[in-house]
Amino acid sequence: MDAFLALANGLTIALEPMNLLFALIGVLLGTAVGVLPGIGPALTVALLLPITFQLDPGGSIIMFAGIYYGGMYGGSTTSILINTPGESASMVTALEGNKMAKAGRGGPALATAAIGSFVAGTIATIGLAFLAPYLVDIAIQFGPEDYFALMCVAFVTVSATFGDSPIRGLTSLFIGLMLGLVGIDLLTGQARMTFGVPELLDGVEVTTLAVGLFAIGEALYVASRRHIQQETLEPVRGSLWMTKQDWGRSWKAWIRGALFGFPIGALPAGGAEIPTFLSYSTERRLSKHPEEFGTGAIEGVAGPEAANNAAAAGTLVPLLTLGLPTSATAAMMLAGFQQYGLNPGPLLFAERPDLVWGLIASLFIANGMLLVLNLPLVGLWVRLLAIPQPWLYAGILVFATIGTIAANPSPVELMMLTAFGVLGFIMRRFDYPIAPVVVGLILGPIAESQLRRALSISLGDPMVLLQSPISATLLAIALIALVAPFVLKGLGRFRATED
Amino acid sequence: MNASHRPDVPGLVISLILFAFAGLIWWDTTNVQIASAYGPGPTAMPYIVGAGMLLIAVGNLVLALRGDFPARDSLDWKPILLILGGMAVLIALISYGGGLIPATGILFAAVSAAFGRRAFVTDLIIGLVLGLLIYVLFSKLLALSLPMGPIERLI
Amino acid sequence: MSQYRKGLWRSALAAAAVVGFVTTAAAQMELKIMAPAAPGGGWDQTARSMQQALTQAGIAKSVQVTNVPGAGGSIGIAQLVNNAKGDGNQLMVMGYVMVGALLTNNSPVTLDQTTPIARLTAEYEAIVVPANSPIKTAKELAEAVKADPAKVTWAGGSAGGVDHIAAALFAKAAGADPTKINYIPFSGGGEALAAILGGKVTAGISGYGEFESQIKAGKLRLLGLTSPADKATPDKPSLTAEGVNLEIANWRAVVAPPGLTDEEKKALTDAMDRMAKSNEWQSILKAKGWEDSYVSGDAFAKILEQEQARTKEVLTSVGLVKS
Repeated sequence: MDAFLALANGLTIALEPMNLLFALIGVLLGTAVGVLPGIGPALTVALLLPITFQLDPGGSIIMFAGIYYGGMYGGSTTSILINTPGESASMVTALEGNKMAKAGRGGPALATAAIGSFVAGTIATIGLAFLAPYLVDIAIQFGPEDYFALMCVAFVTVSATFGDSPIRGLTSLFIGLMLGLVGIDLLTGQARMTFGVPELLDGVEVTTLAVGLFAIGEALYVASRRHIQQETLEPVRGSLWMTKQDWGRSWKAWIRGALFGFPIGALPAGGAEIPTFLSYSTERRLSKHPEEFGTGAIEGVAGPEAANNAAAAGTLVPLLTLGLPTSATAAMMLAGFQQYGLNPGPLLFAERPDLVWGLIASLFIANGMLLVLNLPLVGLWVRLLAIPQPWLYAGILVFATIGTIAANPSPVELMMLTAFGVLGFIMRRFDYPIAPVVVGLILGPIAESQLRRALSISLGDPMVLLQSPISATLLAIALIALVAPFVLKGLGRFRATED
Repeated sequence: MNASHRPDVPGLVISLILFAFAGLIWWDTTNVQIASAYGPGPTAMPYIVGAGMLLIAVGNLVLALRGDFPARDSLDWKPILLILGGMAVLIALISYGGGLIPATGILFAAVSAAFGRRAFVTDLIIGLVLGLLIYVLFSKLLALSLPMGPIERLI
Repeated sequence: MSQYRKGLWRSALAAAAVVGFVTTAAAQMELKIMAPAAPGGGWDQTARSMQQALTQAGIAKSVQVTNVPGAGGSIGIAQLVNNAKGDGNQLMVMGYVMVGALLTNNSPVTLDQTTPIARLTAEYEAIVVPANSPIKTAKELAEAVKADPAKVTWAGGSAGGVDHIAAALFAKAAGADPTKINYIPFSGGGEALAAILGGKVTAGISGYGEFESQIKAGKLRLLGLTSPADKATPDKPSLTAEGVNLEIANWRAVVAPPGLTDEEKKALTDAMDRMAKSNEWQSILKAKGWEDSYVSGDAFAKILEQEQARTKEVLTSVGLVKS
């Protein structure tokens, strides 16, 4: 078993004191920037590149891996505690996680997120170590038509975030799709919905939208209702830790989340958001407590959190085996490799096994380190909710705006953030669900460009969608998922009348 | 839920806005001149979204006319204006070279006031310190270029 | 005002620190380099590498990098032209991609309004096919394009970018109608590469560096580079030498704001000349795998003018810019 031996070798490299120190610096920095929406791991790695130039390649790449995983943790912590997703991939976590935190169950929410991330990260890292070469052969077989079919599956599952009124859910989704149109059309370079404002040419940033809708919208809504209903936050109600029941409801969700996250993350155009949507709706379907969804169901935190961490490890599959950067952070890590004259790709495993296995091993270490660091901090984190309400919300708004300013210090971006805050407020007041807006913004442009690519390659023949076995299977799944609830409902009614 | 059968006026406004969105998409799409050589062009998706938006607007109109909009509590405008005012001052300070730290201070104080705090000066100072910490962390440690004002230049 | 005073303070401190050191006029320079893109991209890396080389080689006393992301540099250049007019310490990194982006975005600001300083690096475009493709040579690809441009699908970067322009020029050189090319833009990163490796498209076109490791591993076949014929080597053949007349380079350069005096322009050009020759810059080029293509002054201004004219013609011919 070559891989085992190589991994053991890698572990001895990663466990060298200096490398452990780099991993620690990485996870701390990653957590710090993950907390701020807008600045993510990619930006941090980019800014650190010139500094790490002087370090040895092993150490700095290990540090980057730490930043990558740390960013994921930081993003989910703010999602849960203050409803401010630090990354677009932790948006789904906010849905149930923040509800749990507001009900005094922030402790279990953070714990299931941390342990779930650890479990999924470990599963995914094992997958990376042993399956990468096989997985990547499948991954590059995914053509544009297959991605389009995958988006169809994702669109169908979005209805899980709709709440009880389909019309209101669709209203939110279409607002998101409309925002997705803004900017330069990737396939022809045409400006759409930009109204002559050059800042709009790059489109609407997902984090700007999510932070505006979630954090600022919430602050406006809570403030406007203070005279009627004082929001009281109890940091801890019941147990700070996960109860036996919490464990029972979480572990399957972790594993399912990892199984969504890793393969989709490994797809060159898969991303970390889609597996979180899929995981959320699956958990909602399978849960024995579906009534808790929307008010703080622990599966709704455990699954998506596991999924986004597994996806993060998944993106390393094409990066290490093919040199394909499939996320912004992976692109920066590629730049990190390249500044040492290393080219990730088919030859890296053969030429520099020490580096590759050192990196994979340090992913294990970073993951363990984050768990050890985060679990004891859970108690401290939830105390944040004990901060007097005015300061808590003031702090949230400061964080939300600084994150946006740091990523792009343009007044137009801040005005968009404010406008999305107002939109979030109106949607809360009139009971429209928030999440589908963000989902529409993420999925709409991908679905559009992949379909147009597929049809451009096939010279306009739509049959290409059914000729690819992957696409045909995924479309069938989407169709079943769309029709099944109605059929089941019909059957149920039929049985009811029979009885 | 409240089938009062009385039209909901804000609901009517919302559906009107959605109609306007549909019109906006349609109008913008007619300005797109360039087509793809093969496959659907840049106008296909906007027309689909625009058509969907139109249906959604009709759906909301029906809800509003039937009075099927959720019940709402009375609204306190003062905190909303305070928060939005804080954001406006922040945007102005950033745009006209006032710098990040004072902008952060004012936003912090304004939001605190919106949530019922009376100690504006204390909150302003807390906000300034918070802004300072963030500024030092990101501009010095990570060499990010953050908006500069008179205070930032002294650091 | 306060900036000026702070500058004085810094100069005083620096002077105190380097007592007995002969400071040239250039070493007093406090440069600001704008990267009209988010941190991490090619332009940002160029700006930060310049910062490193200029300060370490003692050519400038301090260099500050700012990022103004947006729309292929359209936002950055607007800021340079409108807000930095006459600032002799300001530079902006730009590249060939910006020439096309300003045209497709109908930018109100053009490169003619800037003061060209120097071209720094260049990368040639590579045309590849999957290793199992029946197409073996550039000539065969050219024949396929000529026979039916619709059936030859190209994977590359964003619409109107250098990859797209190169594909259009290839079709033209092959004697086909460039408006009929079936070019499929992918968003950056490895998405285009994945489509080529998976055999979803006929050919791929992008900077050589994007494909290098796949070519060496034998997963992609390199048909040729868009380099001049005299630069061809056995493992880096030139398309022109292979009989398809196509030369284009994705270069990066620096420009300054409008309204500079001749002395200010000369000081900036001198600083760039010195940087380009410095060991620090040369070792960065080597580490990053960037090809040196340094040209400064009027020669660069002329190149910039020619490239703008050619790009406009190509983009109009593929229908991305309405004349």
